[in-house]
Amino acid sequence: MRSLPPAVAELIAALSQLPGIGPRTAERLALFLVQGPKETAEDLARALVSARERVVHCNICGALTETQPCAICGDPSRDISVVCVVERPVDILLIEKAGTYRGRFHVLGGKLSPIDGIGPEDLRIAELESRIDQEPIREIILALPTDVEGDATSHYLAKRLSQKGVKTTRLARGLPAGSALEFADELTLARALEDRHPLDSGSQP
Amino acid sequence: MYVAHLRLRDFRNYPRLDVDFSPGFHLLLGDNAQGKTNLLEAIYLLATLRSFRGASSEQLVRHGQRWYFVGCNLVGPARHDIKLFWSATQRKLTLDGQDVRRLADYLGTLRAVVFCSEDLQLVKGPASRRRRFMDLLLSQTQPTYLPTLQRYMRAVRARNALLKHAIVDEAALDGFTNEVVRAGNEIMKQRRNLAPKLGEMLRLAYRNMSGAPEELRTIYKPSVDGDLAVALAQSRQRERVQRITLFGPHRDDLVLLLDDKPASVYASEGQKRTIALAMKMAQTEYVTALTGSPPILLIDDVMGELDNKRRAGFLPLLELARKSGGQVFLTCTAENWPHDLALDLTRWRVQNGRLSKVG
Ligand SMILES: Nc1ncnc2c1ncn2[C@@H]1O[C@H](COP(=O)(O)OP(=O)(O)OP(=O)(O)O)[C@@H](O)[C@H]1O
Ligand SMILES: [Mg+2]
Ligand SMILES: [Zn+2]
Repeated sequence: MRSLPPAVAELIAALSQLPGIGPRTAERLALFLVQGPKETAEDLARALVSARERVVHCNICGALTETQPCAICGDPSRDISVVCVVERPVDILLIEKAGTYRGRFHVLGGKLSPIDGIGPEDLRIAELESRIDQEPIREIILALPTDVEGDATSHYLAKRLSQKGVKTTRLARGLPAGSALEFADELTLARALEDRHPLDSGSQP
Repeated sequence: MYVAHLRLRDFRNYPRLDVDFSPGFHLLLGDNAQGKTNLLEAIYLLATLRSFRGASSEQLVRHGQRWYFVGCNLVGPARHDIKLFWSATQRKLTLDGQDVRRLADYLGTLRAVVFCSEDLQLVKGPASRRRRFMDLLLSQTQPTYLPTLQRYMRAVRARNALLKHAIVDEAALDGFTNEVVRAGNEIMKQRRNLAPKLGEMLRLAYRNMSGAPEELRTIYKPSVDGDLAVALAQSRQRERVQRITLFGPHRDDLVLLLDDKPASVYASEGQKRTIALAMKMAQTEYVTALTGSPPILLIDDVMGELDNKRRAGFLPLLELARKSGGQVFLTCTAENWPHDLALDLTRWRVQNGRLSKVG
C-alpha cells in the first residue's frame, strides 16, 4: 500500500464508498482504471458527472427523471385518479414491466424504521397528502415491501390517508423486500434464538 | 441421520481435523481441556449455527488465527454436504454447494440435541432459557416458525425504539403494534400446540428416570391470557412509563411443576437435574416423532453425574438412537466412562486437538 501513489489511494477510498464495493474490489477497479486505456477512465468520468447532473427527482412523484415532470406524470393518457405508492424509484420499473398498471406513482423514499431513526416526517408523506388535496385522486394503491417495516408503513398510511377520504388498497402480495436478506443479516436476526441478547431489559422475568 | 465425515480448520483447539464416523456410538475419551466438548460444539454449530456454550464466533476461531471452517458430510434419507466459514469480514454457509440465503431454509438439515451441564439452567434459569428451548424445537420442526419469530422480534425492536422517543408517534406505533400482534399470535399458537405434546413426553421421561411418585407437569404460560391486541392497547399507559413492549411471546414462559409446585423453586438439586435431562429426552423424542428419525445426540459429560437409577432410565434412549441408524457422541474423562454401555462402540482418544481411534 505504501508504494501506491496518493492519487490511486484517493481513488480507492472514493470507490470503496460505493455500495457493495469492499476494499479489495475498490483496489482492483482503481488499478484497472489507472493502467487501462485513458479513454476508459475519461468516458467513465464523463458518464458519471453527466448522469449525476441530468438525473433529478420528479417534482410530482419522486421518480428518477431527466425531464420535469417525469414521462409518466407528463403522460396525458395515464389515469390520474389512481396513485400507486412505492418505496423506491426502482420499484416503479418493476410495476411498469408488468405492463398492466395505467395510473400514476408516488415514491415514498423509504419506510418507517424506528431502529434506523426513520419516522413519518422523513418520508414523502406530506407530499402525497398535498397531491391528494390538489389532484383528482380517488384511489391509492399501496405497493410497499412485505417485510415488517413495509407492512407497518402500509398500515400507517392506510390509517392516515383514510382521513383524506380516499380509498386505499394494497397489492395482494406487496413487492419483495428491497434486497434479499443477506445471510449475515439473517445471522443477526437469528438472535431470535439467542437468550444472551434479550430484546430489552424488561424481557427477563 | 449421521455425520459421516467431519472437517475442522482452526476451530477452537483443532488446527485441522478430517475424520470419518460410522453411525452408532462414539465415545470421546480424554483428559480435561483436550477438545472433547469442542468437537461436540462443532457438530452442534452445524445444527443450529450457535455454540451451545454461548460462545461468540470470534471465540471459536483458534487462537492466533483469523477464521474457522467447519464442514461435514451428512447421511440420512438424503446426503448433504455442509460448509461453514467464518471470519470477521466474511461468513459463508453452503448446503450442497449452494449459498444458504435464509436461515429458515437451512435449519433442520442437521438435527442435534445436546446434553450438557448447562441444561440445568432450563429448570433454574430465567424464562428466556425455556423460551429458547421452545424456539429451537419449533424451528427445527416447523418451517414457518423461525421466519415468524424473526419478524416478531423485528417488530418488537421497532416498537421499543418508538417507545423510547420523548413524544411517541401513536400512529406509527400502531403500525408496528399490528405487526407484533400478527406475528405474536402465530408464535403463541405454535407454542400452545407444542406444550401438551411435549409435556406428556416430559412427564413420562421424568417418571421413567426418577422412578418416584411425584408428577412433572408442563404448562405453557403466555404473557397474556386473552387477546394480545387488547392487552397491548390496555398497557399503553404503563408502556409510556417503562418504554418497552410489555406483552407478547418475548415474555412467555414454560412453567415446570413438580406435584403442582414450581420446580424452579421447590425441586431439589437432584430433581432439577433429572427434569433437565427429561427435557432433553423429550426434545429428542419430539423431534424423532415429527421427522421420523432421531436427531444426533451430543452428550457432554453428563453420564458421570447420574446415579445408576437415572442412568438406567437414560440408556433406552441411547439404544433407540442407535437402533434406528442414528448417532450418539459421548464425552468422558477416562475415569468415569459408563461401563454399562453397549460394547459395540467406537472409542476415540482426544488429545490436544487431535483424534485417534482406540483399539
Ligand atoms: N479459540 C480457541 N483456540 C485455541 N484453543 C482453544 C480455543 N477455545 C478453547 N480452546 C482450548 O480448548 C481446550 C478446551 O477444550 P474442551 O472444552 O473441548 O475440553 P474438554 O476436552 O471437553 O475438557 P473437559 O473434560 O475439561 O470438559 C482448552 O485447552 C482451551 O484452552
Ligand atoms: Mg468438556
Ligand atoms: Zn413523476
